[in-house]
Amino acid sequence: MKKLLSILAALLCVSAAYGQKLVIKGSDTLGAKLVPQAAEAFKTTHPDVAFEIAAEGSTTGIAAITDSTAQIGMSSRRAKPVEISAALAKGVTMKPTIVAYDGMAVIVNEANPVTELTLRQVEQIFTGDVTDWTAVGGNPGKFSIYTRNTSSGTYSDWKELAMKKRDYASSSQKMAGNEQIAAEVAKNPNGIGYVGLAYTHAPGIRVVGIVGKDKIAVLPSNQTVQAKTYPYARPTFFYTNGEPSGLTAEFVDFMLGAEGQALVQKVGFVPAVQH
Amino acid sequence: MRNIAKTGLALCGGLALTAASALAQDSGPLIDLLVKKGVVSDQEAEELRAELTQEYAKTSAGKLSLGSSVQSFKLSGDVRIRHQMETKQTTGKTATDERTRERFRFRLNGDAVLAKGWTTGFAFETANAADSGNQTFTNSNDDYNIYLARAYVGYAYNDNLNFTLGKFKNPLYTTDLAWDGDINPQGLTETYTFRFDGKDKLEVRALQNIMQDNDEKNWGDAGNDAWLFAQQLVYTKFFGANSLILAPGLTTYSNANLGTAMTNETPFAGTSSKLTMLTFAGEYNFANIAGSGNGIKVYFDSSYNFDASSRVSQVYNVNTATHGKEAFAWLLGVGYNHGSGKAQGDYSVKVDYRRSALGALDPNTSDSDFGFGNLNQEGFKIGASYNIVDFASLNLSYFYTTAIKDNLFQKDGKTTPTVAKLDHSQILQADLVVKF
Repeated sequence: MKKLLSILAALLCVSAAYGQKLVIKGSDTLGAKLVPQAAEAFKTTHPDVAFEIAAEGSTTGIAAITDSTAQIGMSSRRAKPVEISAALAKGVTMKPTIVAYDGMAVIVNEANPVTELTLRQVEQIFTGDVTDWTAVGGNPGKFSIYTRNTSSGTYSDWKELAMKKRDYASSSQKMAGNEQIAAEVAKNPNGIGYVGLAYTHAPGIRVVGIVGKDKIAVLPSNQTVQAKTYPYARPTFFYTNGEPSGLTAEFVDFMLGAEGQALVQKVGFVPAVQH
Repeated sequence: MRNIAKTGLALCGGLALTAASALAQDSGPLIDLLVKKGVVSDQEAEELRAELTQEYAKTSAGKLSLGSSVQSFKLSGDVRIRHQMETKQTTGKTATDERTRERFRFRLNGDAVLAKGWTTGFAFETANAADSGNQTFTNSNDDYNIYLARAYVGYAYNDNLNFTLGKFKNPLYTTDLAWDGDINPQGLTETYTFRFDGKDKLEVRALQNIMQDNDEKNWGDAGNDAWLFAQQLVYTKFFGANSLILAPGLTTYSNANLGTAMTNETPFAGTSSKLTMLTFAGEYNFANIAGSGNGIKVYFDSSYNFDASSRVSQVYNVNTATHGKEAFAWLLGVGYNHGSGKAQGDYSVKVDYRRSALGALDPNTSDSDFGFGNLNQEGFKIGASYNIVDFASLNLSYFYTTAIKDNLFQKDGKTTPTVAKLDHSQILQADLVVKF
């Protein structure tokens, strides 16, 4: 009997070594470009590892950790207290790891003459307090506001960072991802939206400077995000169930290592760790 | 990570994890400051946030969660233990009924403020009578039912206009001459507020109150729903710390039959017709009399029913040639308060005289304690309250009423109207009220 158990244990070890799979779910901001590229780079040294990546919004990533359906939950926002409580109720301890910083850029159509907006004007536009571009010095025309959808961490982060937690204007249109917002704004002369730093070079759009309390317009960049002078900057996270271990820890370490952080910068985010 | 949490907590002024519930909610700006000062890194700050939230989630408060639409939620209520002594003599009788009762009332209110101007809430209490939440202690330690006293949805279109639908607190400015304070009307109410300089304002309040739902298959009044429609202007004017409120209004009813299933003190199961009442209530508050927090209030209420003659003659079957149409009811009172009734040592006294004329009021809404809810009564109500601690008070109320028209019989000369069957009455209530 002991011999049989030993054989079974050996078989399990062999199969584990050859069939490792890392399931990563969550944020579109991280999951559209950065994490797939990081996964490819990771596989060069871990050829037997398979990745399953689903980028359907931060909420889904945090839920996946709670439900133990993923090893890593990508999130462009902090887990909410209610999510942490729900996880605890299932015996899951949410552990955040900052993998990159992101600046959320306000973008307009490249033909739009408006080059900068104050914090107050941004709030007024996205909440619907003002409805026409003339209210902020633009050409006559109703705002076409493009936002992320409600499962997106960016959607709730933007409410917190730019809108004093108020609700979006009822006329705002919800888009699936950053690329869709950039594409719509590029097509619409009255369009305005927000995208992550990685998406600010899309054709047909222009990034607007944000005027803060010091009356100086600041554009999102590596420098202004790292210096915390750009107001709409935020960390992005990998969530794990407690301290990561095994393959999960290896991939998190890879992301925070020199190669991973170089990818962070290459894709358009701001590194979390300086190497 | 425990070390990070402890470091952060120490830096947060020595607060301990035992205060996690408060800390988790308040620590955001503090952690941001620690990051800004370079005391902790962004990563350490995130771990600290997560750990504090997890600590909070383990507390009793942290295990409660509310929907994301809830901006705030307030639970409140009270428990009242009452000793009540009462005597009454029915019209045409010589014997006096006497009774002593030990009673209690429990109320639990939940009121939520939602996003975008919406509100909702509920209230539970210990009795199903519209005009009382009391239960009398009876029958060998029996248990008692809980009833839904309020369930409402509110919507504020803007700062001036709001609506409430369902079963809700009485939106009208009133005294208990016409509206028992325990009644929560059901239906729809609207308020529009005009604001002037300072706190002065004029409110237009309207109430559409479903009094009885009848089956429309029936003919005539028996097939109509009974609705009460009240419209009121409430003008509030401040003179420094003093204030004046004037509230004229008009109350009408649809013609319908009221059913027999009502459980209020003096249920009137006839018709709701012949009630078109001009109402006028108000008060003047003299603030800071002989020191801050002391006030005197002079208050009044009145109701004149334009259809009183028909109401008395046709609905109550009383000969108006003999007894008059009894169209006017009124109340005049004065009160003195030391403090607002929310702090230990606060007290108040008040006394009013009222005349609840037969044709002037709806007995289904008038005060259930004054003459046991009967009409054709006049007399005093005296009240006093003393806060033994901030959240608990001892209250005394005394009612003394006598018949306005003696020997008020219907046209047969023998039967008293069901809503006016008292010759005189007294009620004394001694209460201990604890609020939470």
